[in-house]
Amino acid sequence: MDVIKALERAIGKSNVLSSVEACRPYECDGLSAYREQPMAVALPETVEQVKQVLTTCNQYKVPVITRGSGTGLAGGTLPLKDGVVLGLSKLNKILNVDPLQRTAIVQPGVRNIMVSQAVEQYGLYYAPDPSSQIACSIGGNVAENSGGVHCLKYGLTVHNVTSVTILDMDGTVSVLDEKDDGIDLLALLNGSEGLLGVIVEIKIKLLPKPESAQLVMAAFNTVSDCADAVTAVLEQGIIPAGLEMMDKFSIMAAEAFAQVGYPTDAEALLLCEVDGSHDQVQADAERVADILSAKGAYKIEVSQNEQQRIALWQGRKNAFPAVGRFSPDYYCMDGTIPRSRLAYVLDKINELSEKYGLKVANVFHAGDGNLHPLILYDANIEGQLAETEKFGTEILNLCVDVGGTITGEHGVGVEKLNAMCHQYESPELEVFHGIKNVFDDTGLLNPGKAVPTLHRCAELSHMHVHNNQLPHPELERF
Amino acid sequence: MADLEIVHFAEQIKQANSDKTTIQITGNQSKVVLFDEDNNQQPVHELNISDHTGIVEYEPSELVVTVKSGTLLTELKQVLAEKNQMLAFEPPDYGSSTIGGTYAVGLTGPSKPYRGILRDFVLGTRLIDGQGRELNFGGKMIKNVAGYDVSRMLVGSKGSMALITQMSLKVIPLVEEVTYCVDMPEDEAIVLMNKMAGTALPMSGGAYFEGRFYYRVAGEHAVQTNRVGVQQCTNEIWKTLNPFRPELAEGEKLWRLDVESTHPAIPNTIAVGMGGTRRWVASRNKPNYPYVTLWQTRFSPRNNDTPRVAHLKKGLRDVFDPNHVFKQL
Repeated sequence: MDVIKALERAIGKSNVLSSVEACRPYECDGLSAYREQPMAVALPETVEQVKQVLTTCNQYKVPVITRGSGTGLAGGTLPLKDGVVLGLSKLNKILNVDPLQRTAIVQPGVRNIMVSQAVEQYGLYYAPDPSSQIACSIGGNVAENSGGVHCLKYGLTVHNVTSVTILDMDGTVSVLDEKDDGIDLLALLNGSEGLLGVIVEIKIKLLPKPESAQLVMAAFNTVSDCADAVTAVLEQGIIPAGLEMMDKFSIMAAEAFAQVGYPTDAEALLLCEVDGSHDQVQADAERVADILSAKGAYKIEVSQNEQQRIALWQGRKNAFPAVGRFSPDYYCMDGTIPRSRLAYVLDKINELSEKYGLKVANVFHAGDGNLHPLILYDANIEGQLAETEKFGTEILNLCVDVGGTITGEHGVGVEKLNAMCHQYESPELEVFHGIKNVFDDTGLLNPGKAVPTLHRCAELSHMHVHNNQLPHPELERF
Repeated sequence: MADLEIVHFAEQIKQANSDKTTIQITGNQSKVVLFDEDNNQQPVHELNISDHTGIVEYEPSELVVTVKSGTLLTELKQVLAEKNQMLAFEPPDYGSSTIGGTYAVGLTGPSKPYRGILRDFVLGTRLIDGQGRELNFGGKMIKNVAGYDVSRMLVGSKGSMALITQMSLKVIPLVEEVTYCVDMPEDEAIVLMNKMAGTALPMSGGAYFEGRFYYRVAGEHAVQTNRVGVQQCTNEIWKTLNPFRPELAEGEKLWRLDVESTHPAIPNTIAVGMGGTRRWVASRNKPNYPYVTLWQTRFSPRNNDTPRVAHLKKGLRDVFDPNHVFKQL
């Protein structure tokens, strides 16, 4: 009996997809440049069935790629030809909401936005809000330790999860709770990209909705003035709920798309949102406006009501699709850098943009240093994707070189395996492989993702010689 | 340039590997006596980090401080206060506690349910593993998902897996805090502190002690003293509860319980802290709850892991310290 038949027997024929057509939607995630047809897709309806899928795959020594909503941007759920995609989208129930305790227990397939919608009646919400929150799942959020616009003030996923239940390839259940003694396995699971266990239940924190929020928009003549202004705001003890910066190209694209009144003559635009109690918000918004104008903002607008606040956000929230209209394809990077190096990094990116002949738009989570350069390219032009990836790798190396990291919130997946070689030395990578082996000695959980092999890094460093031109690009380097 | 102190630490660890001796990492031993030279039964070698001190890098506007692990909490807090910033997790100070010792035990203060626990604020660590290799995990960025989150995982490792030599921590602005109190029964206080935490009131502390419900509010907020029985009091109560002293158990054993914030009153409780999630119980017998720690030694391990979790922890120890050079507590 082959593994597909065994899976069908274990969880029912209707929960297993194996035809090419049925598996097609699972061949990639949000990073559509990478595609692979899986052997089968298992869509269990219960935790017991998840266990069946795992034990069956373990018995047949078949790799398992766990997937939530497939919105990941780093190819973390890219299938393997001889692997099974374990889709958890049917585990989509909010199991419990405790408004007094301000917690909810959810299944992994619950979409992020559903939680906030379900608890709105209690004046509560779930804070981490990745841009994809309409579609992305809480299980995927934990696997990636997702951030969002508000994470400077309200934290990442790891700060908002108090317990996870995981299964290993044997189907053994472990509960990792923040109340546990000793080392923090719960923290380790956050951001582990599906390599350490299959998350089947999550307990999350709910926060009271802020009483009030106000948005301050400020236009600057230079990027460095804008970065300095952000520094001044944070130095003066204000932690904005959101702090977003856009460069000239992004401003222009967003304004053309959303027509919300962004100043298209600005070199840099800052959107700074403060929230909290009525009194605090009023005081903070005034202080922010004062600081920004003292730091050289030539135009400042403070939202006067909820409608205006939401309208001003529309440009930024649609920045990616807005930029996307200027090109058939775009490639979204996710480095982090110290804010003090922003002007330098943007200059360098512009130089690289000229070198590769590819346009770049930059949006920046200014509060936490997370930079998202969007490289515009055309996949139909032969070789342009490869050039784009090389450009991207240079940007990530630049981030590491100024003291930042290669990924702030999208994860490594398959996309940044080479960049990981630049971020970490061999001993650290050995430790990562050791950790993987402790949790999954079968090596069947999402193999080949997140942590590059030492061999790959060694090969890459030998190949770095010629101006980053990889010899034999046709060879697979996993 | 190689840091000579680091080289020296690494040499000691390598030496212990070849001599097959055990190393006890110590700071100032403010929480518990770990190493007593006169009373030493085993061949245990002390590796003391209390001289490895100082702020490595501090850029207030990046909201990040990088500090060597032997640095005193008092010194670190003072450096931050000069720039109007603070540690969000309010670590308990037992007199001469270091940031390294605090990390090793993973101790957080009264603000826990409102601002988060110590590990939430760890961004990166520099460490020496059981083979004497210097390793770096995480970094100085608030957002970083490259590689497993080792620097957060090792919080609570009690020196049993690696020598943490340096860490980067996220800091927050210093805010003005005011404490209010009101007399009421314990059960009512537990419900009330939960209810209030679900409102827009910017709470940063919630506790019950000697018949009174105490709550602390940070920054601008609505008038509180127009509520029935509520009066403003000093911030001293938070020092009484943090660190929590075994003497308050008046001769009984002191037990630290971690429970859900809404758990009803537990018999023999002498204080409720951390918005209801922490209960201090004074009793001869161990209370029958899942997360109970005997607090006489201030951090004795519970050892109630499931076999699978115990297996994971053992395996991870082998990754970091394959020859078991670091002493287990």
